[in-house]
Amino acid sequence: MAEPRSPVSASVPHNPMVLPTPEGSTLEMDPVEYTLRKRLPRKLPKRRNDVYVNMKTDFKAQLARCQKLLDAHREICIHGLGLAINRAINIALQLQTSSQGALQLAANTSTVELIDDLEPEDPDEAGEPLTRTRNNSAIHIKVFYPKL
Amino acid sequence: MELSIDRDARLSVPGQTTSVSASLPLLKQTHAGGFKKVCRIEEESTCPFPGLPAGVLEMRVKEGSKIRNLMGFAMARMQDEARDASQTGLRQVVFTGSGRAVTKTITCAEIMKRKLGGLHQMTKLQYKGLREVWESQEEGDSEVTVHRTLPSISILLSKDPLDPLEPGYQPPENSLWEERSGGDSDGATGEESLSLRIMRVLKSTVSTETSETLSEPALKAEM
Repeated sequence: MAEPRSPVSASVPHNPMVLPTPEGSTLEMDPVEYTLRKRLPRKLPKRRNDVYVNMKTDFKAQLARCQKLLDAHREICIHGLGLAINRAINIALQLQTSSQGALQLAANTSTVELIDDLEPEDPDEAGEPLTRTRNNSAIHIKVFYPKL
Repeated sequence: MELSIDRDARLSVPGQTTSVSASLPLLKQTHAGGFKKVCRIEEESTCPFPGLPAGVLEMRVKEGSKIRNLMGFAMARMQDEARDASQTGLRQVVFTGSGRAVTKTITCAEIMKRKLGGLHQMTKLQYKGLREVWESQEEGDSEVTVHRTLPSISILLSKDPLDPLEPGYQPPENSLWEERSGGDSDGATGEESLSLRIMRVLKSTVSTETSETLSEPALKAEM
């Protein structure tokens, strides 16, 4: 998690109309290529029993990790953002199923603001680095043994 | 991940039934294994919100549903009562979705919360049963029924208060990542509300750069 930005090799065809041109109007003719870099989402402070689910790690490994944490802490919180929501729900439900219904789930949803950077491919060309914000949905599932 | 469940659930294959398909065999050879999906039956799952009045609007979000269509309809129904005082308008709405529509379902609920405000939320997760009938395209001419389970979500949004002790309850206006004028702690549920407060402080202290190291002093400042 040391890398603050994760570059994505996607170039965004930029609309010349919105492009701020410092000098010269001929620039509007050729679209400037931008590289879209997605910043990492802001995260909740990580407690020992917090799990942030992603789509890169193997599903079984993440499930096993959750099970292990659950055994140690009796309560864990599984977070999933965007596409990983499905996986977070799946992990939570699988944990519940394998516990024979002893576990309870408490799910909360939220919206996460994400920031994308648009960097011009060619630094010589006019074209300011831009940022864009967009929203994505997230889920936070508390998996716990209910107190009797 | 769905595949792994699929494999586990495939045990419930009933006796192979020979069907009448003499003319079909060569049509769909492109399919892997020569199986073709014939039909798909969703099993009726129990309503996750017991004691819900009958007239509640249920929005079934599917993979291909357009958010603007869903929201256009749901928002109009939820905002209706302002005009028509004689008739009690809609006070609750349920968004449900399964499989790949789960994200969209949450997005719909989040949009509605943002637009209307003051909504109480109850989120429930469950597996939804799905029965698929596959027909063999090879000489065997048999049918196989596959039982799959899909994760599904149901989100109840209500203008009236809901039971805060029920798991999955979310009070109005507690968006985790949203800017808030910090300080107000309802202290309802220990650990959960603590993380909410931490989040608010983080938001106000950390400007635009996301920095892991900043979370430490921010934490102390709040406590």
